[in-house]
Amino acid sequence: MDRRDFLKLGAAGAAAGLLGWPRPLRADTAGYRALVCVFLYGGNDAFNMIVPASAAEYAAYAASRQNLALAPDVLLPINPLTADGARYGLHPSMGRLQALFEAGRAAVIANVGPLVQPTTRDEARARAVPLPPQLFSHIDQQEQWQTLRGTGTLVTGWAGRVADQLAPLLPAQRLPINVSITGTVPLSSGDRTSAYVVGDQGVVGYAAIDAAAPGAAARRQAMGALLADAAPTPYGRALQRLRQRAFELADITQAALAQEAPLATTFPATPLGRQLAMVARLIAARGPLAMQRQVFIVGAGGFDTHDDQLALQPGLLGALADALAAFDAATVELGVDASVTTFTMSDFGRTLTSNGDGTDHGWGAHQLVIGGAVRGRDLYGTMPRLEIDGPDDLDAGRIVPTLGVQPYAATLLKWFGLDAAAIDAVIPDVGRFARRDLGFMLPG
Amino acid sequence: MPAAPRRRFAILLPALASAWLAACGGGGGAGSGGGAPPPPAPSRAEAFRFLTQAGFGATTTDVDEVVRLGYGGWIDAQLAVPATRQLALLRALPQPNTQAERQSAWFATVLDGRDQLRQRMALALGEIFVVSEASGLNQYPQALAYYHDLLADDAFGNFRRLMEDVTLSPEMGYYLSMLGNRRSDAAHHIRPDENYARELMQLFTIGLVQLNPDGSVKTDGGGQPIPTYDQPVVEGFAQVYTGWSFGGSVAFEQPSFDWLQPMQPFEAYHDTGAKMLLDGAVVAAGGSARADLAQALDNVFHHPNVGPFIARQLIQRFVSSNPSAAYVRRVAAAFDDDGHGARGNLGAVLRAVLLDREARDPPAADSQGKVKEPLLRLTALWRAYDAAAANGRYDVAALGTLLGQAPLQSPSVFNFFRPDYAPAGEFAASGRVAPELQIATELTDALTADLFAAAVFQWNRFNAGQDPGAVVADYGRDLVSGDTPAMQVTRVAQRLLGTEPSPSLRAAAETLAAQYPDDQPALRLLEIVHLVATSPEFAVQR
Repeated sequence: MDRRDFLKLGAAGAAAGLLGWPRPLRADTAGYRALVCVFLYGGNDAFNMIVPASAAEYAAYAASRQNLALAPDVLLPINPLTADGARYGLHPSMGRLQALFEAGRAAVIANVGPLVQPTTRDEARARAVPLPPQLFSHIDQQEQWQTLRGTGTLVTGWAGRVADQLAPLLPAQRLPINVSITGTVPLSSGDRTSAYVVGDQGVVGYAAIDAAAPGAAARRQAMGALLADAAPTPYGRALQRLRQRAFELADITQAALAQEAPLATTFPATPLGRQLAMVARLIAARGPLAMQRQVFIVGAGGFDTHDDQLALQPGLLGALADALAAFDAATVELGVDASVTTFTMSDFGRTLTSNGDGTDHGWGAHQLVIGGAVRGRDLYGTMPRLEIDGPDDLDAGRIVPTLGVQPYAATLLKWFGLDAAAIDAVIPDVGRFARRDLGFMLPG
Repeated sequence: MPAAPRRRFAILLPALASAWLAACGGGGGAGSGGGAPPPPAPSRAEAFRFLTQAGFGATTTDVDEVVRLGYGGWIDAQLAVPATRQLALLRALPQPNTQAERQSAWFATVLDGRDQLRQRMALALGEIFVVSEASGLNQYPQALAYYHDLLADDAFGNFRRLMEDVTLSPEMGYYLSMLGNRRSDAAHHIRPDENYARELMQLFTIGLVQLNPDGSVKTDGGGQPIPTYDQPVVEGFAQVYTGWSFGGSVAFEQPSFDWLQPMQPFEAYHDTGAKMLLDGAVVAAGGSARADLAQALDNVFHHPNVGPFIARQLIQRFVSSNPSAAYVRRVAAAFDDDGHGARGNLGAVLRAVLLDREARDPPAADSQGKVKEPLLRLTALWRAYDAAAANGRYDVAALGTLLGQAPLQSPSVFNFFRPDYAPAGEFAASGRVAPELQIATELTDALTADLFAAAVFQWNRFNAGQDPGAVVADYGRDLVSGDTPAMQVTRVAQRLLGTEPSPSLRAAAETLAAQYPDDQPALRLLEIVHLVATSPEFAVQR
């Protein structure tokens, strides 16, 4: 295998990208659009993030949640444009999210979770329909959200598949479509493409070959020479490809970032804040990088609140709201807020029941979508009944999702520019759901 | 035959005796059968390769020992070396301790300690039975040292004992929520926490789907994998793991916060109902916390998955990412029965992993071998060049960020990398895995290279004025007057690779070296060391 062949396996090469596709897929790649995925690791307890505040619904919530229920007078009211008969409030630490919602820049997508097809409680209890396997296993559900494999065997992520399709249509882009600030994730793993992984402090170069270092040129030449002949093992070849790409992209990205003035918007000094600040810098540099379509992935940990949930949630949810608000402000500052859409995902929601001071792994949970192109200040989907052994409870307070991840992702990808055929190729089960467009993005 | 082997033989477990004899050609002590000719001594290159698999990096002394004792003899000697106690190292320092000191103690242990195989197994076990500083345990360095010592102590013992020691450690109890887990209270919609119940099975012992003895996934009539357990079983185990708190607590609600002894049960908080276990087994109602726990751990321990599940992961940690089905089956068989009827003998399992022909024979397929964990690349460089810190500390800041991994600092219970991780492209297409590539990103490649550049160009004995805690290596041991660049390359390759470098690496290193004049042999040497230590070739073991 010569160098060109094995490099092709990892590169978003235009010619390589068309191999295997029977016809070119259509996508609208004009202008600039970016998706920003915020993955909440561990399973976010969304039932304490968005809480029913009207009497009957709150009573059901409080009866289920017992000592983990939030008091009604601490909730931050939100006023969705479409009434569903109930009122809702946010966790008290999410003031900045409340502001985004009321300003029409954030939407709540209710009770989303991995499904193979629309599923009722009785069907789930009886296993009468196919269900994603291992529903309460962290790693499996993180993969379900990110691969949308259902009962199939896809190992690629849906953003990776998007990049596989779009990369050949955007040969001038200097970075991969997917950029992760949170390490290797299945979401961005494609058959032919993979994410460029950067840190939250800027792009790290190789100090020993930095032009200013004495002896750097000779070292760079030597290190580069080790990448020329394909290594004898797939392990060696993977490391060679990685370093080749790291060398090239570090130079390109550092040069582009250096051209941008620092943002005025300040970000919270939290892991999520730092990651989103880095995303904002990369978006600011999209011109020199010739980027038109990008997917960024950031992540926040600590949501697996088996213990001390009431003590931990203010920090977790407050940090989330503050980082999302800062990022939104940055996109406004950059004039791209209608071109950047941020959305959350998480392993699962959590049980209505408690284990004393925390919750266990659940299923359906509310998600957030934020941006200038979002049809905000509204709830989408169907809020579940928060009753143990109620019409939406699989068992022990694990709520059956009323929306699959497929239509959620499909709505985002339609905005991103994929046509129906492209979305079918990226999300194989999307046709099983009633709607492919949940309507939470503004037209155009 | 020298007297030393006879003495060593006397303290070995019986299961190991005949294998030791086979490795060293019989002779002294109670020989039983055999008559096979002694195997040839390993070459120095073969010994180096073995030590890369079995320890933290080969030194000349280690290679001498493996050549002298043979592989089996070296393992037997290692099985007899007592554990270096990390907690004791920490307590010898002024109190209170820091996590940085714990990490330093780890480096001191693996760079200088004689118990190489035991500590390497502790590292592997810590990547399966994950407990991490990235949690509330951040405040308790001694707790993590205690947990590390627990794994090291159990490294060659019985897996059932390891399961119990881990389960009752307050560290794991805290990390996966068994500590303070309480019985059901239906009136308040309180159900026992399922965290430990789930992860003990999913990650530590049997996995999610039924396995054949060779590690392949069993399928049903429809070609689908068969789950090992379902939700009622998780709930059954969750009920078992109730009522436990810190050892030495006066009451369940008044925990002692003693991280350095096993947890103890409080029966009033233990679920007394019947509890469903694996494969239809049931714990009868009314049992004590300790009795229920014993029954539950036995139930998991005896599941047929444990052998192949653990065998494959240990092979992946020591030898090869993609073992053949036959290799997994042989190692799983050693787990199931160590040759003397005992199930779960980890010493026997390690011998099976390291002495199997697929580990010892020269690699045949290009998929044999693995990417070395970045931590082990660093220790290999430092052991090869006798690195030490002037004050006995081994200070490396932000190690986890720079390498993508650091001892007991996993970002989650899923370790730094998954056993079944496969990058896109060549690996995923061929159905092969490469766990360590999960942390090999553009970011970590640059950060790791920068750490190695510092280790070579800054932290060396040619430079005066080092911080007393800096890990300073003696690259000068390869500085021999009269060496041509080509000879220097040979020396460094022997030191770090144990063998001749590839033509490509030799050519690049000689070209680089030739740019430095003969009156700068030290600088020339450092350039060669840096190039080799940061090369993809050094990062792969075969």
